[in-house]
Amino acid sequence: MSNDADAQARQTTGAQTATDRPFWGRVAVWRPYRMLVDLVTASPRRQFLILAALPVLWVLTQHLGPMVQMLRVSLTDAYPVAPGVEQSFTFDNYLRFFGDRIFWQPFFRTLMFASVLTFCTLILTYPVAYFLARHVSRKNQMLMLLLLLIPFWVGEIVRTYAIMILLGNTGAVNLVLKWLGLIERPIPFMYTGFSMGMGIVYLTALYMLLPLYSALEKLPKSYGEAAADLGAGAWTRFRRVTLPLTLEGISSGCTLVFLISTGFYATPVLLGGPSTTVFAETIAGFFHVAGDAWPTGAAFATIMFATALLLTAVFQRLMHALRKGDTK
Amino acid sequence: MTRGNRVLLACVYWAFVLYVFVPLLLMILMGFKDSKFIGFPIRSWTLDWYTGIFSNTEVLSTLAYSITIAVASTLISVVIGTWIAVLLEGRRFLGRAAVFALTVLPALVPGIISAIAFRIYARWWGIEPGMGAIIWAHAVHNVPFVALVVMARLSTLPKSQIEAARDLGADPIIAFLRITLPYLVPAILGASIFCLLLSFDDFVRSFFLGGYDPTLPVLIFAKLRSGMSPEINAIATVALVLTAVVGIWAERFTRRLKKEADA
Repeated sequence: MSNDADAQARQTTGAQTATDRPFWGRVAVWRPYRMLVDLVTASPRRQFLILAALPVLWVLTQHLGPMVQMLRVSLTDAYPVAPGVEQSFTFDNYLRFFGDRIFWQPFFRTLMFASVLTFCTLILTYPVAYFLARHVSRKNQMLMLLLLLIPFWVGEIVRTYAIMILLGNTGAVNLVLKWLGLIERPIPFMYTGFSMGMGIVYLTALYMLLPLYSALEKLPKSYGEAAADLGAGAWTRFRRVTLPLTLEGISSGCTLVFLISTGFYATPVLLGGPSTTVFAETIAGFFHVAGDAWPTGAAFATIMFATALLLTAVFQRLMHALRKGDTK
Repeated sequence: MTRGNRVLLACVYWAFVLYVFVPLLLMILMGFKDSKFIGFPIRSWTLDWYTGIFSNTEVLSTLAYSITIAVASTLISVVIGTWIAVLLEGRRFLGRAAVFALTVLPALVPGIISAIAFRIYARWWGIEPGMGAIIWAHAVHNVPFVALVVMARLSTLPKSQIEAARDLGADPIIAFLRITLPYLVPAILGASIFCLLLSFDDFVRSFFLGGYDPTLPVLIFAKLRSGMSPEINAIATVALVLTAVVGIWAERFTRRLKKEADA
């Protein structure tokens, strides 16, 4: 056994350059290390199990665990359980959602806002991605993309605050409008659906831009040229060639932006008003203020996550069908 | 494509650049305003807000707290994420698709839902809100990004290099440490910086899992709720400069590393 190991170790060290031979050579022949290697690599099966154990355990307990626990708590009547009280199973938390307008109204508002804002983000970023991918040289592409990345490294709260300063009554937009003589009194942009939407688009634009850019960048320029040779005008080329072939990028960008938009909490709190309460604020209320009702909060969060996933699944299905239909 | 179209698209691009930069520039400018009142126009300028925050122990300790959390959570994410990537890339086994789906799950859960799910889970394990809970939540949330980036890099590693090392007698562990790991370094470093920034900027998880000590975004949020002041602009600008500088540096650094590793 040890002869074997030594032979193998000598072989290992022989393969290495002279400068680092001592260190790795010593590791390779070090007895505890040899035992470890023999233990781990005794069979391909064992090697695989040792490699797989930690990742599988991690994703089950850390990635899936919180979601399962949230679902479980949403089906109980009290959490955290007070000492001496029996916890029992109930659907009441879900029924509560339908019982009151102040619960389901923000829910539908959130879905509507998220859909509209996803669409706005798409319209806003598509031309930008198109320009970068098709009209800019390779070298400049990376630089111009990097330029757009910089603001997106800045955090959610800081960017939300920047929007507050931009849109406030004494903000830059109102100052410019007044200076141009377009208005006399400032327009109250803040605490409306507009300010909130502007903030959220500002936060999510990059998640749309990057998938669109990579889809457009993969598209060979020759396709458009071929269509042009066959007599297609600019609009027809875009509608019949570019758009159908970038549906995949559109689909993944929209899915990502929609899911992210439904989850914002601080931005609606800071930029929105009473008429724009979103579901995230409703959910948070169960964990913070006097109405400390974790199971209800958990149930509402489950409703929202399930709905968001369902909607994105339907959307992806539709996009897939559209793609299939176009290639026929 | 006609020339007119091209010019139009260029205008759209630069308008978009203005859209993403102007709000931040205005916010930075406002931090130098010599008045407690936030708003334009700015008539006189001062550095007092900056000297104020750098002599404010609350702000400084919050900054240190945020950085500690970012570093600790990144270390965990990088080890676990790389491990998952090595397991998933180029291997076929029963349940691989399920492990992959679970790996990316935390990246797809909307912020508020992820935050309260972590809150409930931490409570279930008896973990009190505070630094440990935040580090854990950030680490879990960032694992998918590390795993995806490292998997992408790993898929371009020529199999022949590993085979050559094994033929020359390297055991799987040494082959991993001396061939695979050095090849992955650019991806691992890039992912680490990304995790650092995600953790440093994160609000919703830090807010719901935090104890009495705020992280920097939570501090800014709390101050904002009690009213705007140029002091907040100064704090936000410090956070902005830190993240932007780290981000730009990382982008250049990982690109150079990748070039060197490929050469």
